[in-house]
Amino acid sequence: MAKEYKALVCCRAGMGSSMMLKIKADQVISENDMPIKTEHGNLDSLNGFTGDLVITMSDLTDELSRDPRVPYALGITNIVDKVEIKQKLDEFLATKANEE
Amino acid sequence: MLKDLVEAPLIQLGMTAADWEEAVRVAAAPLVENGKVTPAYVDDIIVGAKEHGPYFVLTEHVAMPHARPECGALDSAIGITTLKTPVDFGSPANDPVKYLFCLSAKDDDDHIAALQSLVELLGNPEFFKVLDEATSAEDVLEFIRNAEEGTE
Repeated sequence: MAKEYKALVCCRAGMGSSMMLKIKADQVISENDMPIKTEHGNLDSLNGFTGDLVITMSDLTDELSRDPRVPYALGITNIVDKVEIKQKLDEFLATKANEE
Repeated sequence: MLKDLVEAPLIQLGMTAADWEEAVRVAAAPLVENGKVTPAYVDDIIVGAKEHGPYFVLTEHVAMPHARPECGALDSAIGITTLKTPVDFGSPANDPVKYLFCLSAKDDDDHIAALQSLVELLGNPEFFKVLDEATSAEDVLEFIRNAEEGTE
């Protein structure tokens, strides 16, 4: 079976933006049959995070891309734009495919 | 459902604010007055945005200010505030912000269905037209109820 990647969708509070972002990301993932499974949390969830990808609103991405706990930071600027979400998830999957 | 969390006293149309911080305080005020959040919750939203940037600006012209539940969320609720003159939140892609949905989420589950409808409404241009043209909270509530009817 193909590898399934684990993504953490998080925001500072872990309740609002991240939950909405998870809802939209899950729609894109299921519509496109992407091998990604999401969970959501707050910034504290990064402690002990063992997944492959962290998805946040783009304002947090700069901070996260410098964080050693984050293997791959993906920032979304427009939560309702499925094209943007799909494109960025595709980029992630392409990066992973190149690594293997 | 969203209609269960949005109450008429939490809807404010055509408000004014000089900057993002005042906009957040204006948007949060009815939640404080109606016992949905503590004043400390509002302070935490501001602190969070200063520390991490405006992480609650979601799409063009839309912000959903919220803090961590343990910072003073008393009851789950979503307020709706529109600004007469939009203000910049420091989010290049989505500024200026005109619509604020201040969120109080008390626990992890009861607000998820509401956020699901809200995120769909945020992708619906008709919703923003209603917010722009509404003359009363009831106009907005009616649109939300109708939008959610098909999904129940």
